[in-house]
Amino acid sequence: MSTLKTKGKSKDLVLQRPLKSKLRREIVRHRSVYLLALLPLVYYIIFKYVPIWNAQIAFKDFKAIRGVVGSEWIGLENFRTFVNSFYFWSLLRNTVMYSVGKLIISLPLSIVLAICIYECTKPGLRKVVQTLAYLPHFLSWVIMYGILLSLLAPGDGVVNDIIKLLGGKPIDFLSNVKAFPWVVLFSDAWKEMGWSAIIFIAALMGIDVSLFEAAMVEGANSWQRVRYITFPAIMPVIVTVVILKLGTILDAGFNQIFMLYSPQVYSVADIIDTWVYRQGLLEFEFGLATAVGLFKGVFGMILVLFANWLSKKLTENSLF
Amino acid sequence: MAANGKHLKHKTVRLTKADHVFNVVVDIFMIFILVIIIIPVWSTITLSFRPNDYLGSNLEGMFLPPWEWSPDAYTALLGNDGFLDAFLNSFKILIGGVATALILTIPMAYVLSVQSLPGRKIINLIVIIPYVFNVGMIPTYLLVRDVGLMNHLAAVFVPGAISTYNCIIMRQFFIGIPNELKESARIDGCSELQVLFRIILPLSKAIVMTIGLYYGVSFWNDFFNAMLYLNDNQPLPILLRNILLASGMNEYVEVNAFGNAPVSAIKAASVFMSAIPMVIAYPFIQKYFTKGTLLGSVKG
Repeated sequence: MSTLKTKGKSKDLVLQRPLKSKLRREIVRHRSVYLLALLPLVYYIIFKYVPIWNAQIAFKDFKAIRGVVGSEWIGLENFRTFVNSFYFWSLLRNTVMYSVGKLIISLPLSIVLAICIYECTKPGLRKVVQTLAYLPHFLSWVIMYGILLSLLAPGDGVVNDIIKLLGGKPIDFLSNVKAFPWVVLFSDAWKEMGWSAIIFIAALMGIDVSLFEAAMVEGANSWQRVRYITFPAIMPVIVTVVILKLGTILDAGFNQIFMLYSPQVYSVADIIDTWVYRQGLLEFEFGLATAVGLFKGVFGMILVLFANWLSKKLTENSLF
Repeated sequence: MAANGKHLKHKTVRLTKADHVFNVVVDIFMIFILVIIIIPVWSTITLSFRPNDYLGSNLEGMFLPPWEWSPDAYTALLGNDGFLDAFLNSFKILIGGVATALILTIPMAYVLSVQSLPGRKIINLIVIIPYVFNVGMIPTYLLVRDVGLMNHLAAVFVPGAISTYNCIIMRQFFIGIPNELKESARIDGCSELQVLFRIILPLSKAIVMTIGLYYGVSFWNDFFNAMLYLNDNQPLPILLRNILLASGMNEYVEVNAFGNAPVSAIKAASVFMSAIPMVIAYPFIQKYFTKGTLLGSVKG
């Protein structure tokens, strides 16, 4: 009721006064909102926009003494060095391989898990699985590394104990170039599977129950219900998740790889982010490392914007 | 908000053989997942209680009866000043971080949710641009160095004090609160601050708890910022990382004082100790985050 009243009033005012003063009045009316925005916006300028300004050193021969502004411009030199280097393709390949690999392994698992949690007829089992499946998401990769050590250590890890028991030769999972990628992919699946299932569970909760009743009256069994009701209902969410994931394809999980890798497996483990870290903060090649970060940033932006547009178009879901 | 197989309550029709098979398959998968999750955790826990004179393999150790367990690794850790200091630092980062993050994120999310605000689109753009265009770690590193945060605990949480993603989820929740409530408060003479504190926040307990938990987890778990910006006063994840990377405890000088528990037991015990605050807080906040996440993901 009250909204209707104000609407009528402001309409009258628009007729009486020029547009500018209406805007001014609106701004004055919202002055305390701007006050609220002040502190966070100052924060954004300093901690999100100054780094963008600092990124100009990608085009410079950065010298710490001369600072960001004082260093000499060298154009695209840093980018050229990167694109022509031998590690360019291997970094790109590893990054994309891990992103896509994680999606391929985790996505079906989390979909099946969500459907099973939704369909499970034993409330106790459902509750326990639900609680425990989310938990690993909250563990850091340092902790995960500790857990993986107890499983995969070459001398005394549980998995190698089993391999020895079966008569095989123990494998040094974390420093073997063949095994390492699988450790990365499956440890990520173990950690994030439950968490990724949440969004599908949310979609399942939205299904109209009367659909199931109708299907049952028609004599559909559980398999048919999943095939023709449950799965189609979460299909748009699956499409959204896949598309948005493709938007972040250059983020292959820095924390995980940084914790798990070692020089023996750099050839299969190194992703763009880990390389930027080593080159920039260990070798002090700030300009080159920033150029690579910027390269990733620009491509990442294009991918995210495209993914967002595509998702909006296909499913009406979007990030922003 | 647990998934509760609601539709199954209405099942008055007799179960066919296919239905029974389906239920069994579902149960088997659920138990499979349960086992997969529990085994690594169990192997770490049992390892942390391994007695010093234990000779069997770690696989056999998983089935060692509890009365043969030894708390040596834990007494060693809890008696070590380095470990307690690290724990305290982590706690300071956690409290300071969550407070700072919420003080910045809540107003930002609220401002973006006021639909009638002139210039809202511009503010929205200011927030979205750095989220989409990420320039990477070096420029941020230079900034933190330039503003003199080096070696302050605050350096761990200040660069990530507003996560745009969290801000968007919160804004989405605020937008979902019926406009009539806000409008009638404004007509009754409430300022925007009062609307936020008297109307919005009391209705937003779930989302504030959820986002607070997200921030808390990310600050508690952070090792990368701590590694970059802190020389001493190191938090738990850094200590844990040093302990884990040391192949023998002698390599890591401060751990040298950890008594005579087996090295692998001390590693496992410190893993468990680092995880424990999260594990304890988790069930209390779980009901909020499931609710909050579900609300956040269903976008209006």
